[in-house]
Amino acid sequence: MAKEQEFYWRRLHSLLGLIPIGLFLTVHLFINFSATKGAETFNKFSEGMESLPFLGIIEWVVIYIPLLFHAIYGVYIAFTAKPNLNRFGTTRNWFFVLQRFTGIFLVIFIAWHIWQTRLQKTIADATIDYNLMSDVVTSTGMLIFYIVGIIAATFHLSNGLWSFLVSWGITQSPKSQKVVTWITMIIFVLLSVVGVMAILAFRG
Amino acid sequence: MHTNHGRSKTIVVKIKRQDGPDATPRWEEFEVPYRPNMNVISVLMKVRENPVTRDGKKTTPVAWNMNCLEEVCGACSMVINGRPRQSCSALVDQLTQPLSLEPMSTFPIVRDLQVDRSRMFDSLKKVKAWVPIDGSYDLGEGPRLPERKREWAYELSKCMTCGVCLESCPNVNDHSSFMGPAPLSQARLFNTHPTGAMIKDERLNAIMGDGGLANCGNSQNCVQACPKGIPLTTSIASLNRAATVQMFKNFFGSDHMVD
Amino acid sequence: MAKSKLLVVGGGLAGLMTTMKAAEMGTEVELFSLVPVKRSHSVCAQGGMNGAVNTKGEGDSPWIHFDDTVYGGDFLANQPPVKAMCEAAPGIIHLLDRMGVMFNRTPEGLLDFRRFGGTMHHRTAFAGATTGQQLLYALDEQVRKWEVEGLVTKFEGWEFLGLVIDEDGVCKGIKAQNLSTHEIRAFRGDAVVMATGGPGIIFGKSTNSMINTGSAASIVYQQGAKYGNGEMIQIHPTAIPGDDKLRLMSESARGEGGRIWTYKDGKPWYFLEEKYPAYGNLVPRDVATREIFDVCINQKLGINGENVVYLDLSHKDPHELDVKLGGIIEIYQKFVGDDPHKVPMKIFPAVHYSMGGLWVDYEQQTSIPGCFAAGECDYSQHGGNRLGANSLLSAIYGGTVAGPNAVKYIKGLDKHVEDLPSKMYDEAVREEQAKWDEVLKMDSGNENAYLLHKELGEIMTKNVTVVRYNKDLQHTLDKLAEFKERWNNININDTAKWSNQGVQFTRQLRNMFALANVITKGALLRNESRGAHYKPDFPERDDENFLKTTIAKFTPSFEPEITYEAVDCSMIKPRKRDYTGGAH
Repeated sequence: MAKEQEFYWRRLHSLLGLIPIGLFLTVHLFINFSATKGAETFNKFSEGMESLPFLGIIEWVVIYIPLLFHAIYGVYIAFTAKPNLNRFGTTRNWFFVLQRFTGIFLVIFIAWHIWQTRLQKTIADATIDYNLMSDVVTSTGMLIFYIVGIIAATFHLSNGLWSFLVSWGITQSPKSQKVVTWITMIIFVLLSVVGVMAILAFRG
Repeated sequence: MHTNHGRSKTIVVKIKRQDGPDATPRWEEFEVPYRPNMNVISVLMKVRENPVTRDGKKTTPVAWNMNCLEEVCGACSMVINGRPRQSCSALVDQLTQPLSLEPMSTFPIVRDLQVDRSRMFDSLKKVKAWVPIDGSYDLGEGPRLPERKREWAYELSKCMTCGVCLESCPNVNDHSSFMGPAPLSQARLFNTHPTGAMIKDERLNAIMGDGGLANCGNSQNCVQACPKGIPLTTSIASLNRAATVQMFKNFFGSDHMVD
Repeated sequence: MAKSKLLVVGGGLAGLMTTMKAAEMGTEVELFSLVPVKRSHSVCAQGGMNGAVNTKGEGDSPWIHFDDTVYGGDFLANQPPVKAMCEAAPGIIHLLDRMGVMFNRTPEGLLDFRRFGGTMHHRTAFAGATTGQQLLYALDEQVRKWEVEGLVTKFEGWEFLGLVIDEDGVCKGIKAQNLSTHEIRAFRGDAVVMATGGPGIIFGKSTNSMINTGSAASIVYQQGAKYGNGEMIQIHPTAIPGDDKLRLMSESARGEGGRIWTYKDGKPWYFLEEKYPAYGNLVPRDVATREIFDVCINQKLGINGENVVYLDLSHKDPHELDVKLGGIIEIYQKFVGDDPHKVPMKIFPAVHYSMGGLWVDYEQQTSIPGCFAAGECDYSQHGGNRLGANSLLSAIYGGTVAGPNAVKYIKGLDKHVEDLPSKMYDEAVREEQAKWDEVLKMDSGNENAYLLHKELGEIMTKNVTVVRYNKDLQHTLDKLAEFKERWNNININDTAKWSNQGVQFTRQLRNMFALANVITKGALLRNESRGAHYKPDFPERDDENFLKTTIAKFTPSFEPEITYEAVDCSMIKPRKRDYTGGAH
């Protein structure tokens, strides 16, 4: 990747994190939330998604390609940083480190998650439904892994939204950035509640 | 100032020393007599007047950079008790002891606490941090400027290239070519000046290149560390907005490159 | 024929302006500086820069500025260059404004001006209270532009070791040493401009930066250049006493309404306002300094019995203070811990500026052909006392004269340095290398260079500053001779051949001794009181015998040979200098 083009790659990275990945994550969590209404409701939503026309193309364009780019370039970004929390223990410096830490963790988590769900459909012709997820989270270890994964994802998205607004020059003044910090943290809490309630719903 | 034992009060200082750019660093500990109102510079001055370590070993005087001693030249930055800052304005009475002094290792180390910050001056060339005047002949008055705009621009113009913001930035290191907050903020300063703005697209394109604006990771340590209180993160966010617009102008073409 | 080249030594305001002017005329410039030029001592100037732009309806004019400057300097300056400087001042302010200096503005967006000492007019343009920094940055930026365009090459982190002088006594380059690698090189130059600043560090603690040892000017003097009015050392009335240095509290504090006072009979006593009703706190520096000195030392009326009086801004609007004086308010807060918005500042006089310096003609050329000088290191503009906010002006103005004149001089040469044989330069390098090697061998003595310097500073401050007595001056000369001997017994404690600051300082210290002799001997022989030079035994100005420039010539004993030169007073007839009445 040419260093001179770095600006555009970074902007793309920031944008893709929000659209479509962030949007997809939100939709995904809300669909999962339907599991709290029982297995059937969830299966209905799930089937609805599966029946979208051109699903394969949509999956690649909206999810896999953006996600792969965001992940690979994100890992590169994370590893060019040299965290210094010991010198500056401010909220923003913590968030800076957490953003990178959650990013790395999410690469592992999402790879595992896709392997456990979507790829099972391709490889083993499994049906993606309530039962599949229910089997996954019967083990407490796996449940914890998923909860951590969900919270990492919601934090990464919420704080990513904050960064997006700064990186694109939408929030400039210290006050606007502070206000948006609060707003994005509220989003983080709400999304986390939705996500965690959903995963707990698969435990029946 | 006496301790309970009737001995004069002293200051203990640990200094990370390095004989040259490729030498292995080592720590040395010194003890110097306390006087009221001492700063880190006066501690170092005491050490060079008698370069003997705490355990009585004769050593060389410590090398460090300093000049104005009133926090306006930017020379004397170092890492004091873990924080990068100016050593002249680091008052001993406000620091926990033993003092610990290290060079700002984000930069190449020359000797002991001396570092080479020439990369910062190179960045200023890159971002064209100047007002492009026709010449120094008498061409009459300069452009008018609203006082309130001048007041915030003046804050940016106080940057003394001390390097503390680069040292505090997690994204300025040997894995990255990030130029750091200081030169970026200068780009904003000159894009603000009525004449400076006449090449504002050139500056924006420069900071949209290698090592530029996009490398900022928003840890916002710079604005915490800056000894002059320069609103560096506001500068960066403002440049982000300008760069967004510039990006579209570059792509689609525009008649308004500098206005 | 090879391209001509100008060497500029020093990257403060004078050096940068010289560089810019010469580059603009198409001349290649090599610029030498101990520190990155952006860290030069010019950054420390606070209050502002004078120029009779007359925007306040006060009827100010360059002539009045000229008159104030000459009168303020007690008529010791040659008048033609002072007049030229005052006439150029408004143009220089506008030029710097065009370069983007963030000068304070009026509500209409025009330049604002404030009052300074020794004048009745609002004549001082300012950028907060860090004007020197702002001006230096503007010139630094312009020179950086020339650097990018290839006409200027900077050698930052190089120390000037001496001029290269050919057998006809003409300057043909310089010798310099890299402060990290210690490589010694000779640089060819068709002309050299010295812009190396003042010698405040000779007095130990002063308001000056640590590089202001005067070493470079001293070397040129030791190579035969005449040194003018060395004894004229300005003591700034208001500085914060400190352990490592005496930090300046700008005259602009008084220009913006700051008042000097102490307690007398339990009540605040505004002694300057009382004695000088017209000028009040804005009497020239030498006058204010002597009054504060008298109050503390002779009348023992310093605050709490210490040698300090109050400089009070606490009655002013806090926001206005931040906008107009932010820089110095911050310095006081950071280094003392008290808030000047609320409590008066404690101040005492400190060595600040050298009016004297290398002798130059009206084209800024020293007595060594091909070597020019500009800025604080030249003697030409301020006579016996400098008015506040005239130093930024004289530094920049000096550059605007020295640069073009050096280029003109080069154009008149029939042979350029690149065509000269290399023998002279090789010889110069060998000579300096030998000297350096000698200093590096000084590792068996028992003197510490920094402690010896401390002694120098203490005796110079005690005997050669505010009040001078011949007995003490003679004693100081004797001590200086002793210091020179003790110098040979210095132990450098460090024989490293890489970034060895101790050895550099040791070498500079010897050069400080040479200038200390000039200052002290000049003071000893000037049996009168004029400007900053005050002898209680000779309390009056003596135009008949001493309306003359002191000229020092170096001798190997370090005690200079002193002669006198007439002062050009052709434009304003000398009159008694007295600030107790109204406008002079």
